[in-house]
Amino acid sequence: MKLNAHNLVMSAMFGGRRGPRPAVGNPTSIACHGLMEKAGVFFPEAHLDAQAMAALALAGHEIVGFDTVMPEYSVVQEAAALGAQVDWGDRDKMPDVKGFPNADFSAILMPQDFLEKPSCRVVLDAIGILRRQVGGRVAIIGKVMGPWTLAYHMAGTQNFLLAVGMGESAKVTRMLRQLMPVTIAFINAQFAAGADIVVLADHATRNLVGPHHYKEYLLPIHQEIMAQVGGPIILHVCGNCADRLELFAESGVDAYHFEWQVDAREAVRRLGGRLSLAGNINNAQTLLQGTPEDVFRQTRYAIDAGVHLIGPECAIPLSTPLENLRAIVAAGHEGYR
Amino acid sequence: MTDHLHTIKAAVIGGRHGEIKGLVQQALDAGLDPAAIINDALIAAMDVVGKDFGDGKIFVPEMLVSAVTMKAGLDVVKPCLTGGESQSRGTVIMATVKGDLHDIGKNLVSMMLEGAGFKVMDLGTDLSVDKLIDQVKTIQPDILGLSALLTTTMPEMQNVIGALKAQGLRDKVKVLVGGAPVDRVFAEKIGADGYGANAAEAVELARRLTGAKA
Repeated sequence: MKLNAHNLVMSAMFGGRRGPRPAVGNPTSIACHGLMEKAGVFFPEAHLDAQAMAALALAGHEIVGFDTVMPEYSVVQEAAALGAQVDWGDRDKMPDVKGFPNADFSAILMPQDFLEKPSCRVVLDAIGILRRQVGGRVAIIGKVMGPWTLAYHMAGTQNFLLAVGMGESAKVTRMLRQLMPVTIAFINAQFAAGADIVVLADHATRNLVGPHHYKEYLLPIHQEIMAQVGGPIILHVCGNCADRLELFAESGVDAYHFEWQVDAREAVRRLGGRLSLAGNINNAQTLLQGTPEDVFRQTRYAIDAGVHLIGPECAIPLSTPLENLRAIVAAGHEGYR
Repeated sequence: MTDHLHTIKAAVIGGRHGEIKGLVQQALDAGLDPAAIINDALIAAMDVVGKDFGDGKIFVPEMLVSAVTMKAGLDVVKPCLTGGESQSRGTVIMATVKGDLHDIGKNLVSMMLEGAGFKVMDLGTDLSVDKLIDQVKTIQPDILGLSALLTTTMPEMQNVIGALKAQGLRDKVKVLVGGAPVDRVFAEKIGADGYGANAAEAVELARRLTGAKA
């Protein structure tokens, strides 16, 4: 926990007490076709219009029963505001970056009106709407991409990782440091807009890079981000990150949103005293292809292991059955054993 | 193994991309068989790199540099192959499925397949079912390699296989699938012919499936 007035007071308010059941939350998107139909809001509108964005987030609470509302479904809001070419997709397709404006590692300057760019403004406005609608009753989660993910978007993932592999550390660090103010500004703006928690999503995942890359390039940057932002931060890094859990704890974040590939008991044993743990329900096999019973069982395992905020491990596939999301909530409502 | 081959192999494993062209040229000048340079040094190195990646000893940045190094070496040695030696082990279409723009895994597999002697037609990313079917009809590959990084796009692989069946093409091409969220269970469920957890496995699978031609 970062020592600031807000966090100290919030911690004092609850004094370490917990309720009869764990919280069910989504640090990343739970938008799926079933939820869009129930909410009457679809992609790409939900990425581009604040009312639609907030309505779909609210549906996650009102229709499925999650204890959180998280209104950002894409990972490209910041990149779009920085000038990357974005395909906003459609009902069946998530947005993605199509053109990389800094593939040559040219200097990236955050525009003065960055927070007023439409793709950022829409998120801030949606958070404000949610604050007015459910503030104090449902936890509002914001989401911001970290410099590593932003570098993928601005330089191209392969291009950026090739520079890492070639040992071009000055070039890599320069780009990360140029992107860091973007992350800090958007996190602070989301708190100011009304977010209770913000997710810092930075995909230094084991599928791509090693713990040594995280330690060398990103850990100091995450520490600096944490020094410059306010409230509770959940770090999201997907993939099996069992080889770098302790490094995440060193970053100063308050929670880690993790995948099923890291065993929940092991994660709690290694980090439980230093960080809260969120997520852990498998997307591809359990939520997408499994039955509600499969989801229920896996959720109970995570609860019994001591995961603090139960939910999907990452943004869910759009064809995830709604009843599988409800099974997470049902398992959560069974309470602690 | 000769010193030349050993040195080339070590250079690829170590990602010494600046040195590789000179090292391969030296080996050719010394009279080494171009096919041996490819099979016993360049490809053999990538087999080691692929295994190290699978074992979590190295990661994508290191693997990318090794792949770039191997490709630079291949560019020097390929023009020296005789007709028989340059015969392809088979034709592979590689693509990332519709809705998915991620291509590192696919690119690595493409580079390694090319190194392993396959003719690779890399169609890029965000490929619709219709476009893939058209290309399968036109190119008539031995293998169709499909990649997806997102759990949101992996169901598209099933759509491609369904369309191949509907068009009567399913028995004419082997379908390999891969990508971070994909696993063997999913591959079997959608009726793919194989799943590679990493680039090295994908190459091994391609070799096996085209055994008659290898």
